[in-house]
Amino acid sequence: MKQVLIAYLYFLGGIFTVLHPDVSMAQDKNDSSTGTETMLTLKYLCMSNDSVTLTANLSVRRGDNILSLRKAAIEFFTSIGTMLKPAGKVFSDQEGNASVKIGLAGLTGNEEGIITYSAKFTGTDKYSPANADFSAKPARLQLSFKIQDSIRVLNVTATQKDAGGNTVAISKETVLVYIPRLFSLLKIGEITLAEDGTGSFDFPNDIVGDTVGNITVITRIEEHDKFGNVQGNNIINWGVQKQYYKAEVPSRELWTPIAPLWMIITLIIMLAGVWAHYMYAVYELIMIKRLGKKDKPLL
Amino acid sequence: MENEPNKLLKEFAPQLEQTSIQGYAWIIFLLAVIGLGLFAFITQVTHGHEVTGMRDNVVWGVYIVNFIFFMGISYAGALISGTLHLFKTAWRKPIIRMAEFITIISLLIGPCFILLCIGRLDRLYYLVIFGRIQSPITWDVIAISTDIFGCLIFLYLALLRDLATLRDYEILQLPKWRKKLYKIMALGYTGTEEQQKRLNRATNIMAAMVISIAIIVYSVLAWIFSVTLQPGWHSTIFGPYFVIAAVFSGSAVLIVCMWVFRKIYHLEEYITKKHFVSVGLIMLVLAAFFGYFTFSDYLTKWYGSEKNDELLIQLLFKEFYWPFIISNYVGVLLPLLVVGIAKFRTITNITLTAVVVIVALWLNRYLIVVPTLESPYLPIQDSRPEWLNYTATWVEWSLTAAGVAVFCLLFTLASKFITVVPVAGLTGETKPEEALV
Repeated sequence: MKQVLIAYLYFLGGIFTVLHPDVSMAQDKNDSSTGTETMLTLKYLCMSNDSVTLTANLSVRRGDNILSLRKAAIEFFTSIGTMLKPAGKVFSDQEGNASVKIGLAGLTGNEEGIITYSAKFTGTDKYSPANADFSAKPARLQLSFKIQDSIRVLNVTATQKDAGGNTVAISKETVLVYIPRLFSLLKIGEITLAEDGTGSFDFPNDIVGDTVGNITVITRIEEHDKFGNVQGNNIINWGVQKQYYKAEVPSRELWTPIAPLWMIITLIIMLAGVWAHYMYAVYELIMIKRLGKKDKPLL
Repeated sequence: MENEPNKLLKEFAPQLEQTSIQGYAWIIFLLAVIGLGLFAFITQVTHGHEVTGMRDNVVWGVYIVNFIFFMGISYAGALISGTLHLFKTAWRKPIIRMAEFITIISLLIGPCFILLCIGRLDRLYYLVIFGRIQSPITWDVIAISTDIFGCLIFLYLALLRDLATLRDYEILQLPKWRKKLYKIMALGYTGTEEQQKRLNRATNIMAAMVISIAIIVYSVLAWIFSVTLQPGWHSTIFGPYFVIAAVFSGSAVLIVCMWVFRKIYHLEEYITKKHFVSVGLIMLVLAAFFGYFTFSDYLTKWYGSEKNDELLIQLLFKEFYWPFIISNYVGVLLPLLVVGIAKFRTITNITLTAVVVIVALWLNRYLIVVPTLESPYLPIQDSRPEWLNYTATWVEWSLTAAGVAVFCLLFTLASKFITVVPVAGLTGETKPEEALV
């Protein structure tokens, strides 16, 4: 008996080792992950309120997969001339992202006005350090809305600062116009800027807004060699009001307070029919027990 | 002359009184597999469903496949035992207890696989508090719980005569607690005319009820799929198709159980070739029906040429080629050939065919669940191939093995508690050889 037990325990151990390779491979995994090379990317977005949002993403390659590293400390810096100024330290989230918002006031770039932003991961015993930087010149996109001859027009003005601190126009660039929808941004048009940095776009009449018709309009210069990503946004009451229709009768949707009447009636009839038969069977069992009290044994 | 129950019980007594070394080893083996399943379950609870192969697209995997499979064989057990009882089929008696055991044991295991699918088990009671009648999931909860009660009552009624026989058979070397338990459970049944009349009436009613409930409950399970606008699921014939598939798989499981218990307890005198052929013929008819439903379902989808249905059929014939062939060709044609041609009808052949049918029907459920979820109408943005394609992990396989082990263990324990062949049922009315077809 004891031998059989030992044999089965060995067998179980065998099954367990085969099915759970993590146990036997744990040491190898730890060894291989020491000093794993990390990848750090930096995204830049310049907003029209004189601020920039920097988003760093930290990841590591494992086989064919790229895994995000969470809870990693990412340090952000901005350049003041040739000096680096700390702009904050943020821990990465589940997706490996760490974001920081930096005000542009007081930041100076090189002679062309280009500012360099950088992100740094100092590394750990397991993961190697990584750096990423991005250089861009601050720019501004401003939106205004106007009705001209019954046509709704969106006007955009793109500006930048010159070496002397004066505001000058950004010309001949493409500005994309977006509307935020449920899952992502919906592109509704493009504007090519004129020499004076302005451009316009005939706004469509059939965009659905919120319940009072408000729409958030986003304009962007994307992935520009000099300005990077620049965004300006504004809200306008030009949307079609969103209507919520109330169902007149209860329907099958799960959020309706009550199920359709036919369904309730069918269910009640079926359950009542079934459980009545169960009760009858149980009643017969009770009667069998009562009858048994006065009878003799079976054998 | 010794009366029939005494004679039969004397023959079956070793089953109830003793457990051999092989029996203990078998139980320890099953417990070991269950232990592995428990470890996998703890891993899943502590690490979350990340340790399974289920992701955003394929949110159902082998757990649901196992749930459908176990519920299927349960309803099949109910349908077979209920029908054989109601129509007073002469040869039913040596095998009807096994069909009843299959019903109740698989009915207890099946819903456990649903619990394994639930990400937040701590919120399980929400199903009762916030459950909506208009949700097919709620229909399933109501249907399964109603079915469990019905099957328990039916099983108890079917066991009552044997419980009374075991209570009154004093020579049986059993612990006191077991004798006391038989006494309590026998409800003072002594076989008087009035008691028999009431027991027969209740059993007949419950036999009719378990048949109808099994059909309704398995249809409800099918509707969970067919009311969903998914390629491959949204089909009007899914209800009857599921019922046929269930009884088909259940008849195969019954044949395997018959073979196993015949071997272990040397029941060659009671479970004969004729029983295998009779249940085999049921399996043959069901195979033909299953093949017809499968062909009908896929033909209309293929001819309709709806884009997503076409993609699904392509997927079935490419990535799932062998499972599809085994499930829908081998699983259908083999019973037709083996049972249909008299020359091939041996106990071994029929049992091996039943094993193939069980595998084929499990694969059939896999092909219903997984390829459809791998063919979504709307692709998820930034979705990775490993999120779209499902592969079961060691956690899921361990829990699947544990489910099968629990089935075997409960069957083993049940056969230790009461004879797998009804001793009271074989007395007086029919002698085994006379009763058989």
